Amino acid sequence: MKIAVLVKQVPGGDSPLRISDDQLWVIEDNVNFITNESDAYAVEEALQLREKSGEGEVVAVSFGPERTQRTIREALSKGADRGIHIEDSYPYSSDPLKIATALSEALKEEQFDLILSGLQSDDYGFGQVGVLLGETLGMTTATLVMSTELSDGSLKVKRELESGWFQWVSLSLPASISIQSGINTPRYPSLKGIMGAKKKEIKSVAPDSATAAAQAISRVYIPQKTKKTEMIEGTADQQVKRLAEVLKKEIRVV
Amino acid sequence: MQFSFTEQIALLILTLAALSSFTYEVWRRLRIVLKGSGHFSLNRFGERAWRTFREVFIHERVIRGRFWPGLMHALVFWGFIAFGVVTLDHFAVGFGKPILSHRADELYSVVAIPVAGLVLLGILVLAYRRFITRPAALGKLSPTSGLVAVFISLLMITYIYGEMSPASVVAKANWWFHSILILAFLVLIPRSKHLHLVFAPFNIFFRPFDTPDHKAVNIDLEAEEEELDAMLSDLTRLSKNQALDIFSCVACGRCTDSCPAHRGGGILSPKDHFILDLRQPMLDSGDVNVLEGINVEAGWECTSCQACTFACPVGNQVEKSDEIRRLQVMVEGQVPQQYQKLFMNLQETGNTEGAFSSSLAETLPKFTPEKEYVLWLGCFARFNLDPNFTQSVENYAKILDAAGVSYGVLEEEWCSGDPANRLGEKMTYQMLMEHNLEQLSTVKKVTTMCPHCAVNVGKEYGKHANLNYEMQHHTQVISSLIENGRLAISGKSSEAVTYHDPCNLSRMLGEVDAPRKAIRATADDFFELEESGTNTLCCGAGGGLWWKKEGTGRTHLVRAEQIVESRAETVVTSCNFCYGMFNQGLGPLTPEGRGPVEVKDLADFVAENAQV
Repeated sequence: MKIAVLVKQVPGGDSPLRISDDQLWVIEDNVNFITNESDAYAVEEALQLREKSGEGEVVAVSFGPERTQRTIREALSKGADRGIHIEDSYPYSSDPLKIATALSEALKEEQFDLILSGLQSDDYGFGQVGVLLGETLGMTTATLVMSTELSDGSLKVKRELESGWFQWVSLSLPASISIQSGINTPRYPSLKGIMGAKKKEIKSVAPDSATAAAQAISRVYIPQKTKKTEMIEGTADQQVKRLAEVLKKEIRVV
Repeated sequence: MQFSFTEQIALLILTLAALSSFTYEVWRRLRIVLKGSGHFSLNRFGERAWRTFREVFIHERVIRGRFWPGLMHALVFWGFIAFGVVTLDHFAVGFGKPILSHRADELYSVVAIPVAGLVLLGILVLAYRRFITRPAALGKLSPTSGLVAVFISLLMITYIYGEMSPASVVAKANWWFHSILILAFLVLIPRSKHLHLVFAPFNIFFRPFDTPDHKAVNIDLEAEEEELDAMLSDLTRLSKNQALDIFSCVACGRCTDSCPAHRGGGILSPKDHFILDLRQPMLDSGDVNVLEGINVEAGWECTSCQACTFACPVGNQVEKSDEIRRLQVMVEGQVPQQYQKLFMNLQETGNTEGAFSSSLAETLPKFTPEKEYVLWLGCFARFNLDPNFTQSVENYAKILDAAGVSYGVLEEEWCSGDPANRLGEKMTYQMLMEHNLEQLSTVKKVTTMCPHCAVNVGKEYGKHANLNYEMQHHTQVISSLIENGRLAISGKSSEAVTYHDPCNLSRMLGEVDAPRKAIRATADDFFELEESGTNTLCCGAGGGLWWKKEGTGRTHLVRAEQIVESRAETVVTSCNFCYGMFNQGLGPLTPEGRGPVEVKDLADFVAENAQV
């Protein structure tokens, strides 16, 4: 079984985020870049699937600037076999279709049986790259996967739907699925893993520049906090009526 | 008494058989012990000898830990000593070469017969306790203990009978019976926990002075694969001291009785998980690479408080959570998620919280070379793990200011590494330590309010590098400022005050006097908790458990309950973690009608009653 796992490097939630001067991103000094949360679960799922099938390869793939190699290295230290890094430059790509196309160009020769990705990135949150890549490479796809069962060339997955509903779907291989956080218990890189990862290969690929981006970030800003106070006056009946209206129509809590 | 040639041959054969069995079994275990890493140290020989005298011959720990059973055991032990000569003479008589003259034997028996009576009393009370009262700590009934009780009783009875009766056929039979009992005892000893008779005195003599005494793990990030493999496989091996512990254990269960995780309803039983579970695997494999077999879940429950080690009457360094966790982290990569987050924070930001700035550190003076002390804050204070503790730091600063002591904080202070160290993440520990040592390279004196930082920065870093600075816990600084008159006391508080000893300060740094001196100077009504000094009970936050929060049973409540149930109006402690635990924990436990127990750091308490 040959598995690719897509990992993205994102700013850690605890980092102080300040908007960059060009208003297209954040100032990166003092920002802690970490592996996107759901991607860490995807890495673990890939490693467990490889372990269950007894043989195969897990390749950690990332699209991003040079610092993103650290995220690939982290997957390698947990047990991924090699890495592929598709280089991006500033201002960073924010068009899922462009990213998926670049990934498919870099990966089509590899003939993966399975591509795992996190459900969505914690910075942009588009949640599309895994599915688009699957479609581009002619694979079956499923999103929001909470459980996987692999048997003889087909993959059964449990998907999370709305309102606490779930769905079991059978996919033929090759397939691309996106993983929901919490599906497993991610391992910690052992010392041997960390040392061994230094010797593992990370292949750098220049992105296919032919595809034009269909969308781009125009401005990053911090949402304005606003405060509104309304004094409700009148008789008790009028006050109750107005209060009910506010709760129902404006704040929408009842 | 006369013995025929045939009798003597029979005696010789039986004696040699018993002695060879004894020697073989002891040697078999000793050979395993000698495979352990490290070496037995003879440094501070005088202290070791004195300790051995107190703990073995006086039975100091045995009696202190459990008074009546301890005393009964002492009677049996002292009897053994008294009977050494008697037993040698007994066999010498059999071979027709008595050591004691008839007259000497008679004289000695004037002492030995009453001693035999005391031994009999001791062993019968112990047997009553073991087989009738049956305290849980002793575990399931041990048939060999019963056998040993019967043996010792019969030895005493046959001795007394032999001394009292004239030579006769019955006396001869009695002599033979006595001899066979002794020889059977020799066969039994090495095969049972009664091997402590042989090993415990040596174990006490060789016990390391530092607690805990885990081997320092040095990680060479440039190492070749073979070196790395050798280092990792070394992590599964016990040291010689630890291996000797396993065979010295007498299974009394004092460690388990004292364990906060056990008392809080956890699964951890130090007696089983850290000691006895390793014994059979060692005998089976004939080696000491048995650490991988320890119960992992139990290992994560440990608070690293060292109560087990301090309770052990045969000199064991019981706690093995360090060994278990470092294997889980560095070899297996199996780490609870909360700890993965903690480790990531430490690696990325050098602090436990993943924070980028500390508002407290910004308000305090910066350290410059002309200042006397570096005020080491620690992550707990720096990042407001309990917001009330900020005030305690300010109080310590006020005390230093009032006494005219100059101090400042380091701009680049990173976590001392305590949680990484205790949780087995030795690579992150090493990274933090190397950074901090560089920051401290020209510093002479460091003071901190966090005993965890004090243990690591002041002591454990010393396992890796030469330390050029001196570390003083704030209780030590405050106490000496009061003592030499630099801090003027304004009055004594009248509330009922007790003191909770933090494990890291009392057991790991051996400091129990300084905080008491400072409290006594500022309080009228100071009283001790039942478990105090080096006999303290952990608050539940040690060993990295502060960051675990859930899944630790009631470990964190046992000590808090003791404080609420005491007559204390104020509990003083001297560790930020204990402070945080009690500050959050005492309120909900306080029954209606009882006033709240105030939680104060020593700095708070002294500042209230001093001219600051």
